[in-house]
Order: sequence, then structure tokens, then C-alpha cells
Amino acid sequence: MVDFALTSEQTSLRDMARKFARTEMAPHAAECDRAGRFPDEIYRKAWELGLMNLNVPTEYGGTGLALFDQCLIVEELAHACAGMTTSIIANCLALEPILLGGTEEQKHRILDPFCAEYHLASFCLTEPSGGSDAGSLKTHARRDGDHYVLDGEKCFITNAPFASLYTVFATTDPTLRHKGINAFVVSRDTEGVLPGKEEEKMGHRASATSTVRFEGARVPVANRLGADGEGFSIAMRTLDQTRTPIGALATGIAQAAIDHAAAYAKRRHTFGKPIAEHQAIQIKLADMTQALRAARLLTWEAAWTIDHGERGSLESAVAKCFASDAAMRVADEAIQVFGGYGYMKEYPVEKLLRDAKLAQIYEGSNEIQRIVIARELLQRYA
Amino acid sequence: MTGALALLERTAGGVTSASREAVGVARTVADGGAVVGLLVGPGGTGPASGIPVDRLFTVEGPGLTDPSTAQYAALLSHAATQLGVARIVVPGTARGRDVVGRLAVRWAASAATGVTDVTLGEGGSLRITRPVFGGRASETLELPGPRQVFAPKPHAFSEPSAAAAPAPSETIALPDGFDKLPTRGAEGFEPTAGSKGPELGEASIVVSGGRGLRTPESFRLVEDLAESLGAAVGASRAVTDAGWRPSSYQVGQTGRSVSPQLYIAVGISGAIQHIVGMVSARVIVAINSDPQAPIFKVADYGVVGDLFPIVPALTKEIRKQRGLPAGPTGSGPG
Amino acid sequence: MEIAVLVKPVPDAETRLRPDAGGSGLDPEGVKWVLAGYDESAVEQALLLKESIPGTSVRAISYGPLARAEEVLRFAIALGCDAATSVEQPAGAPDDPLVTAAALHLALSKRAVALVLCGKQAGDDETGLVGPALAEMLGIAEYGVAVNVRWDAASSALTLQQSVEGGLVRVRASLPAVVALQQAWNDPRTAKLPNILKSRKAAIERMPASEVSSAIATVQALAARRLAFRLPPPRTGAKMIEYKSPEEAAERLVRILREEAKVFP
Repeated sequence: MVDFALTSEQTSLRDMARKFARTEMAPHAAECDRAGRFPDEIYRKAWELGLMNLNVPTEYGGTGLALFDQCLIVEELAHACAGMTTSIIANCLALEPILLGGTEEQKHRILDPFCAEYHLASFCLTEPSGGSDAGSLKTHARRDGDHYVLDGEKCFITNAPFASLYTVFATTDPTLRHKGINAFVVSRDTEGVLPGKEEEKMGHRASATSTVRFEGARVPVANRLGADGEGFSIAMRTLDQTRTPIGALATGIAQAAIDHAAAYAKRRHTFGKPIAEHQAIQIKLADMTQALRAARLLTWEAAWTIDHGERGSLESAVAKCFASDAAMRVADEAIQVFGGYGYMKEYPVEKLLRDAKLAQIYEGSNEIQRIVIARELLQRYA
Repeated sequence: MTGALALLERTAGGVTSASREAVGVARTVADGGAVVGLLVGPGGTGPASGIPVDRLFTVEGPGLTDPSTAQYAALLSHAATQLGVARIVVPGTARGRDVVGRLAVRWAASAATGVTDVTLGEGGSLRITRPVFGGRASETLELPGPRQVFAPKPHAFSEPSAAAAPAPSETIALPDGFDKLPTRGAEGFEPTAGSKGPELGEASIVVSGGRGLRTPESFRLVEDLAESLGAAVGASRAVTDAGWRPSSYQVGQTGRSVSPQLYIAVGISGAIQHIVGMVSARVIVAINSDPQAPIFKVADYGVVGDLFPIVPALTKEIRKQRGLPAGPTGSGPG
Repeated sequence: MEIAVLVKPVPDAETRLRPDAGGSGLDPEGVKWVLAGYDESAVEQALLLKESIPGTSVRAISYGPLARAEEVLRFAIALGCDAATSVEQPAGAPDDPLVTAAALHLALSKRAVALVLCGKQAGDDETGLVGPALAEMLGIAEYGVAVNVRWDAASSALTLQQSVEGGLVRVRASLPAVVALQQAWNDPRTAKLPNILKSRKAAIERMPASEVSSAIATVQALAARRLAFRLPPPRTGAKMIEYKSPEEAAERLVRILREEAKVFP
């Protein structure tokens, strides 16, 4: 049975996220974007309301939502500001490896105190020498008694300057390639953990991004997730889970672009009538709407598939790739609807284009997503 | 049964304009019968002189300087029963509405508030029209007889012309059990801070300012304009959220709903949340620099341009036209 | 003490209004029902009082069609109310404030409630009559347009201010009482996600339509009959004042207000 109706519980979750997005995030979106300000007070409030650790089960102090429900929330938040949303959902990405690879003891020991207060966490996979080719990462973990000693550098790490916890992927033996990778939970106050300075970004400027250097950082063996060498698998399974909300984030950007464009088209007059009555604009809005709705449905399908216990590599890659490409096109067209005003920072649509761009790049670039899609597809043929 | 009873609410030295409007409406629904005014508490009948009622009832007693809504309801119910009138019109003030609710129960009458039009219906009923959904729609209702109580919407009806001669007045006694009713419990009164003008919800003219004023200091321009018109001052949520003015100034969905004769929006773009609070004003004027601002969709008259020179010029012109001294205008930037 | 807060489902503020087929009421098709704005302030106020008076519990009560009433009750529970009662509107019962008050009276007459809080009016019919009518039925005091409602622990009394013409009246309330809110001290809080999830499973006390029918029988004869529901003619957009100087804009506007609109004082 196919049923597109949301339950009343889902509607109330979405309404709550919408209210938070409109009243707490949207009023500050332009200012944070302009100044590149990290609005810690908004993130703290998001945590207080249970919007932050959405994927962590309630037994460890999180909100414990199904992926589908997470996506409903992420779309609403991203409608107000994709950058803030990235910072709010960065915890989900950083904590997912613990949920997937951690023992019961590790989950309680690490997540219980983490979720009980306002804390940020960062997922540290990408390195300066390459992000997509995760198998060849260079950060090294040397076993020393009951510790590992980490050395290396991670880059483009969301929330890194403010995080109190990092999930770090490092290799114990580069010659083993994927099989040498391990995942570690590293506390910020470990000696030799050195976040860099915040990057100046094109979009997502309310989010903070920096490098993190590890210089002889000693991490207890008890903080390794999974069996020795299981790190790469944990990273990939994590991304399978968290890729779909990026589709939701992109959908939120696209919805915002259409909302702005349609409202503007109805009040802006040329040639004696609102531009919404010109077919050139109607065709744009119709195409934008098709892209939006397809993006949302693909995201929902991917989330639904994963919630039903399947890995959903194909579905989530399709959702993330399609939705972020759609957001890019829709934001682009929204600027065109606004004409010259759309190019001005005083109006809200140029930010959407800058924000949409990142969704095509992070959490696996869209080129990687297409490789995944093709691989999944071709596997089905003899 | 014919005739109608109107409550006259005392104010310092007179009765409220809402009371005079109630008397005018009472004439419409009296169906040829007498219009009776009820004046409660000490202060004599002086305040009612000139008010065109056919008879005037007064009632005095302990604690009636400032009666509770329960006491008003009991007095009105008692007077109406003694007179045999079928209809009671209560002034459309905030407290008047509360009296309607209590009175409907006590007197077993059908009831309505915010009435903007009323005509006599079939079989002793009344047909009334009232705005709903913040003025975005209106409904017409039939209030069944034999008894009705209602409050007109402020300013929806004009005040009746003054009577040439005062109506004969008579006193009525307090109803039984009156001393058991809840009293007002008022301990003091604080005039609205910073506002010399009329109360926002009751004013016939409201001047509101929004984000376009840019600084809390330039909100003075709005207050000066309001003063020149004898208007109440309102604000958009942007202004009250920023703390330029207290939240009691806020007009809109989460603030006050107003329906004055004239609403002037200065530097307000016109978000739907604001519109629902003022759209039922009779005449709306918008002054805004953005010709695309949604406020111009609901306004009757628009001035597109920089408010900083326009608003002081307007204040000056109004003061001139009304014969007021030039006054403290043009104190804002620009 | 026990506080009751009355919560009414009303169409969402963004509802596109249109008359129903009979032309006498709002077409409910596609309408999203939410907690009325002033009632949300009443819930906020109830929770603030609960937080400041030890041993206080808050019960939300709603009258209306079952599904709508329960939806706003769950919202009230998610915000922090301890319990909820849904008073089912019998099929065919008129939407009228006196009928609503009688139905709520039934729910309240069975409890020892010290304070009943409600919004000063609901954003749909905007009558403002339910609170005072209910107070009269209960035979207790009622305080309308209330702001700054506080509990004075030293004297165990409720103080509040009433926003009336020209200012604020300070009042020491006698309990039990109905207090109709103009504004809580705070903007209404946002429900936390985990509380929303919990509220979905919360038990709601139900007063079935059969019980309600007899309670509203007497006032039903007083209910207003709906004859028409109309939308105002669409505003055609502002007439723009043309001008060359601010002084000219001012002169023209004043002339129009005086001669055309006839609203110049």
C-alpha cells in the first residue's frame, strides 16, 4: 500500500519544526549569513527543544526519531536557513557511527552525558588530500598499549571549532587501504586535538567549518568503535543513513525558493500586470514546482526504505543527488524571477543559491552519488 | 415587547463614546418603543445630559463607583425585567463585552458582540452582522427572541445627535442578592505609559510604525503624527520585538486587533500577521519606500517614498489644518 | 490547586477563507485546526502559574468535534499541561458561545477548580463571550483582558491587570475565578519534540456527546442561527499619491482624507 498522508504525530512534529524555523531561525538568517556568525544561542535552543540529536534513541537521551520524521523536520529547518540546519544536524552525522558501531557500554558512556547537555559533535572523515576517496585517508592511528595515538589533519569539518566531541576516522595501516581504517570517539579536551580557524565560505555561513589537527592525540582503545578495521564500513553505513536528510535539506531550500519567487511574482508588476500572469514566469514556476515535488518524494521514499530496515544505498543516493541538483536549479530560477533584485543581497534568494551549492558537494559529492547509483543499478544486471 | 435598554458607562466627567453609540443602536432595535439609559453609580445624571434616551434609570449603592461585570449584568437584567424591554445594548468596550456574556446567561438572552449592522427580523428576532477572522470575513446571524443582548463594534455606528432636553430620570433599587455578587476588586489604575492619546483598541484613528523607521528614536515621528490627529499609537511586531516600544503597542495576530475609521501604517511592509489586526479599518493609508510592499494591497491610499521627510511634513500639514501650534515635529533624522 | 485552561480549535491563521455550499458558514474543507492564539497565551499563563505555585496541576479542556478538540488538547499536553478533558460536541449542536459555555460548565462543575484560564477571544468568531458566560454559570468572578497575572505567595492571592481604555487596572482577584487572557508574561513557549511524542500517547478524559446533549439543551434555544458568511470585496490596491515634494505629498493626502475619505478629524 502506498500512502502519502502524514500521521497526526508527523504533522505535529513538522509544525513544531516549522514554528521554530520561522520564529527562531528565519529572523536571524540574513544577519548570520552576512556576518558569517555562528548563532550559538539558536543551536542551544534547538537542543533544548529536542531538535538536535534527532537520531539518538531516547534511552541515550536523544529524540529517537525515525529517518522519515527526521527528514520532515530537516526540510522545515532548511526552509529558514540551510546553514543553521547543517550545524543543527551535524550531531546526527557525528553520532551515527556510535549508534552503528558502538557497544551498549560505549553508547551509554558517551551519549548519555553528551545528550544531557548542549554539546556539539563533529564527523571527521574528509582530509585535505581528498574527501571522496575515503579509502586512502592519511590520518594515522598508532597503537600504544591501551591507547591509540592519532596524527594527521581533517578538513571542512562542520562545527569543529565549537565541538566537544569528534568521531575521527584514521588508519592503523595504510597498506590495508579500507581494511586498515578505524573509527574513534575523541574528546575535545584530549591533548593534541587542535581545531583550526573558521573558514570563510560561499554559503552555509551560519555554520562553522574548520580543520582539525591531531598531534599525538592519545585516545583510549575503549573509544574505538567496532572491531579492528571496521571503521570504513561504519563510515559508509553512516553516510547511507545521513545522506537522505541532505535530500530533505535541499528540498527545504527549493521550497523556500519557490515561496519567495511565487510571492514576488504576484506582487511585482510589469507591462501592466503582475509578472505571475506572464507565461514566461508561469513556466518557470511550474518547472520549479515539479523539481521540488520530485525531490521531496524521492527523499521520502529513501527515508521510508531505510526505516523499513533496508540499507537504501541506491534510494538515498538518488534522493540526495536529485534533490540537491533540483535545489540548485530552483534557486537559480528563483533569482531569475526576481530579476535584478534577485541578484541583490537585500533580497533572500541569492543566499539560497549559495546554500544549495554545498548540498551538491558535501556528504558525498553528487559525482560519487552517481557512481553509487550506477553501481547499484548495474549490480542488478547479469 | 418593544423598547431597548442601553448601558451608559461612566468616564471622567461623562460617558464613554461607546455608550453614546449604544444609545444610537438601541433606537434602531427599540422597534418604536422607548430607549432607556441605565447610569450606574454616584456622580449624578449630569454625564447623561444631551444623550437622547427617552427615560433614564439611575442606580446607586455601595461599591457601585466601579461595578464588576457581574454587578452590571445583574443590574441590567433587573432593570430590563422591570421595564419589560426585549433588548439590551451594551457599549462595545472591552468590559462591555464581558457584561454581554454574563448577561446572556443571567437574563436568558441570545447574544452577540462586535456588531456592525443590525436590523429587526421576523418574530422578534434580530439580524446582525459582525466581522469574524480579524475582519477577513463577516457573518450574518439571526439572534432569536424574545430577549437579545449585544455590543456594537466601536465606531461601527455613529453617535446620535444630542437631545435638546434631558430625559426624566428615576432611580431603581438594587436587585435581591446583589451583595453576594463578585465585586470588581480593583486596586489602582495605571494610564498607558508614554501614550497621551486614546486607547489603541478604541481609537477612531490609529497611527502605527514599523521596521522602516530603522531606529527607536525615529519612532517619535509616528507619535508626533498620532498626536497631531488625536490618534492612538500602534506598532508592528518588528518594533515591539526589537523593544523600541512595549508589546502593548503591537497590532496584529499576536497583538491587538483594531478597526478604526482611519489607520495610517508608517514603514510597515504588511506581513499577513500584521494585516489581520488592522484590515477591518475603514480607511487605510500606507507610507512606505517599497512600492512592492504588501501593505499597499490592503491600503486605500499609498504614499511611496522616504518616510523621514514625508511624515514630519504630514504632521506639520495636519497641525496647520487643525489649527494646532506647530509643535515638536520633524525631530527625527533626515 | 487545580487550574483549568480552555483551549479552542480554530482554523489556522493562513487558512484561505471561503463560504460553504450553503453560504452560511466557513467551508471546513482542507482547514487545518490549531489552538487559538489567545488560548495559547492562556496555556502559557497556566504553566507559568503552575511553575510558581507548588502543588498546582493544569488541566486543558476543549469543546468541539472530537478529533479537533483532541488535537489541540495533545498540543496543550505537549506544552506542559498535566491532564486533558475533551467535551464532545454533539452532532448538529450549534456553534454558539453560550452553548460552548454550557458544555464547558458541565466539565467544570464536576471539579474543584480554583482558576479557569482562557483566551479573551478566539481568532475565528471573536465573540469573547465564553469566559464571562461560563463565569456566570459557575457563579464566580471573571476578569477579562488580563495581563500580568501573578501569584502573590505571601498573601496567597492572584493579582492581575486588565487592559482597558487608556491604561491598566490593577486587580486583586477573588478565587475561584475565570480569567480571560490578553497576554501572558512570556510569548507562548514551543513544545519540545520529546514532549510532542509523549503527548500523542497521553490519556484524554472524554465527556461523550450523549452527556453533553442534555447539558446544552436549555441554552440551545438561545443560539444564534447562521444566515450568511461573506468575504469582503477584494481590496483593489492603494490609490497612489503622486507628488514632487514631501510637502506636496502631505497636502494631497490631507485633502483626500478630508474630502474623499471623509476621515479627517
